[in-house]
Amino acid sequence: MTQAEIKLCSLLLQEHFGEIVEKIGVRLIRTGSQPLRVIAHDTGTSLDQVKKALCVLAQHNLVSYQVHKRGVVEYEAQCSRVLRMLRYPRYIYTTKTLYSDTGELIVEELLLNGKLTMSAVVKKVADRLTETMEDGKTMDYAEVSNTFVRLADTHFVQRCPSVPTTENSDPGPPPPAPTLVINEKDMYLVPKLSLIGKGKRRRSSDEDAAGEPKAKRPKYTTDNKEPIPDDGIYWQANLDRFHQHFRDQAIVSAVANRMDQTSSEIVRTMLRMSEITTSSSAPFTQPLSSNEIFRSLPVGYNISKQVLDQYLTLLADDPLEFVGKSGDSGGGMYVINLHKALASLATATLESVVQERFGSRCARIFRLVLEKKHIEQKQVEDFAMIPAKEAKDMLYKMLSENFMSLQEIPKTPDHAPSRTFYLYTVNILSAARMLLHRCYKSIANLIERRQFETKENKRLLEKSQRVEAIIASMQATGAEEAQLQEIEEMITAPERQQLETLKRNVNKLDASEIQVDETIFLLESYIECTMKRQ
Amino acid sequence: MKGSDNQEKLVYQIIEDAGNKGIWSRDIRYKSNLPLTEINKILKNLESKKLIKAVKSVAASKKKVYMLYNLQPDRSVTGGAWYSDQDFESEFVEVLNQQCFKFLQSKAETARESKQNPMIQRNSSFASSHEVWKYICELGISKVELSMEDIETILNTLIYDGKVEMTIIAAKEGTVGSVDGHMKLYRAVNPIIPPTGLVRAPCGLCPVFDDCHEGGEISPSNCIYMTEWLEF
Repeated sequence: MTQAEIKLCSLLLQEHFGEIVEKIGVRLIRTGSQPLRVIAHDTGTSLDQVKKALCVLAQHNLVSYQVHKRGVVEYEAQCSRVLRMLRYPRYIYTTKTLYSDTGELIVEELLLNGKLTMSAVVKKVADRLTETMEDGKTMDYAEVSNTFVRLADTHFVQRCPSVPTTENSDPGPPPPAPTLVINEKDMYLVPKLSLIGKGKRRRSSDEDAAGEPKAKRPKYTTDNKEPIPDDGIYWQANLDRFHQHFRDQAIVSAVANRMDQTSSEIVRTMLRMSEITTSSSAPFTQPLSSNEIFRSLPVGYNISKQVLDQYLTLLADDPLEFVGKSGDSGGGMYVINLHKALASLATATLESVVQERFGSRCARIFRLVLEKKHIEQKQVEDFAMIPAKEAKDMLYKMLSENFMSLQEIPKTPDHAPSRTFYLYTVNILSAARMLLHRCYKSIANLIERRQFETKENKRLLEKSQRVEAIIASMQATGAEEAQLQEIEEMITAPERQQLETLKRNVNKLDASEIQVDETIFLLESYIECTMKRQ
Repeated sequence: MKGSDNQEKLVYQIIEDAGNKGIWSRDIRYKSNLPLTEINKILKNLESKKLIKAVKSVAASKKKVYMLYNLQPDRSVTGGAWYSDQDFESEFVEVLNQQCFKFLQSKAETARESKQNPMIQRNSSFASSHEVWKYICELGISKVELSMEDIETILNTLIYDGKVEMTIIAAKEGTVGSVDGHMKLYRAVNPIIPPTGLVRAPCGLCPVFDDCHEGGEISPSNCIYMTEWLEF
């Protein structure tokens, strides 16, 4: 793991889980897999605390364990999984667009809690939704269950691996750590639960609630006495499926930008049809016949079969090469070339960065070298039509920032510089890696700045929180308007201004983190896809 | 050529043989086997008699090639349409670049608005290099006569700008603008992604990125670029 990644993981763990978990987590990321006692010894924390920290990390799927020979259990942290925490807002937002508020809350609960049973999720979500509804209305469990089943059917949530139930119980001592297995078929199988009930509203001024002493009332539901029917079946959010969805979105919007809306709809239909059939790392989708595509087009689109065929031919002939024709049966078999699409998107990202950092002339040279693969300096000047001195300057600048590299071809065995060809070339994979590293460091910088801004104004924030608490309590006990006014004036106008600015800055930094994460997603998908092919 | 001796005649012959590409003084020395001082004297003599002239080569600006007085220098020496007096005409190239792009863009716009079936729409958004050449000639912005190859080099720079894409189709020999049985067609296109997320943060464009770390002189906490960016 690079320094930048470790720094980012440490910031994320600290922000979400606190100091102790951060210490343990970073230790594991740095040193690979280690047994429990070594972790406790090296970090100087008590065994108890280490156990609790590992519990938290394992609950959120950030740490996995393995039983080695001689019964030693070693724990290993997944750095890439920690970095996914940056993307949680994007996952939640995607579910909101696809499955509206219910789905959004389900995924949010799953991400916040790591793993949950279905009944627990349904209960929590129903309660939360009921609170936001108007008085007298409640959220039915059945509705939430339905959304949950739909999420499982489209593979957005999946079952966690669980302890296998052994038929013939081994009379020997139980293993030090259970091995969790999950059957491929069962991964999206929703257990048959009949969850009947409605969401309970949390009323703070309800007469019924005020009567009971707080100690007797466990939570806000009364069915804790019955055993939970699906105990042991835990669910988690399926991040790979979300990534597949983001990738599809990126491809569709690229087609929309290059061609027109209808072509992008056709590509979206093709991708939707291959959602379940194609694995996420395949270079091509399954071939789809034009008849099938015609049948699966969204209902609102009435374009005739010939027009669809024309669009498909255009897509297949386009220099972008996102869609390819693989046969002629069934009216023409078409595939989507996923690897090429990801490569084009990654290349476009590189070009965009070069353009913004160095200028559009530099971007011209960059694209020129990309197209010609290997090119001499003299030829660069001729093709790009840029004066020699400027062209030389730009080439050297891009070379020093590692966007380009030099290939030497000697004419003589002694490699004399005056008798060697020097060719400029762009290696997309290594440039993508370099840019990815920069992205990680950028996000770490943004998070640090955000924490700095918050720390700077800590005094002011605490003051405003105190004032709000006072106002709230006074409102609850029925205070007059004048008194509330007086309390509010404790925060002066410039202080209010400062708070506004702080809020705006923190939001801006937050939004920027998410934007950089989009770049990270494209680059990571491309690198992963390319590495699998090799 | 009276009054000149054999040496001068020899040098003159060599220069004449070089045609309109001209010949470098060192090459004259090799060919005639005369010493350097002699060559220089003869060249100065011939120049004053207005029989030869020196032309600066665009490739190496210190090099001077000699050719007969009344010959037009070849394109490889003067650099062709893009060079005037050894200077690369950047503004001229820029203007041509923008004009070609505007022409292709408006063609694509009209094709898109015609709302016919997609095949025709796409085909009508293409323009062949011949069409663009005619348009530029008619615009009359160029003092120098431009050939179709010149326009094709300009269109290639537009491809490297990512604004235009090119396809080659087979065309009959007789059709206008076809070269060796094929034609080049150009079309204006949009970029496939908007400017990427990294460049929207100040860190993506920061020139001192590598020196920045927490606790140093340049750090995220005191970054002036971030302060400026937050004030927008």
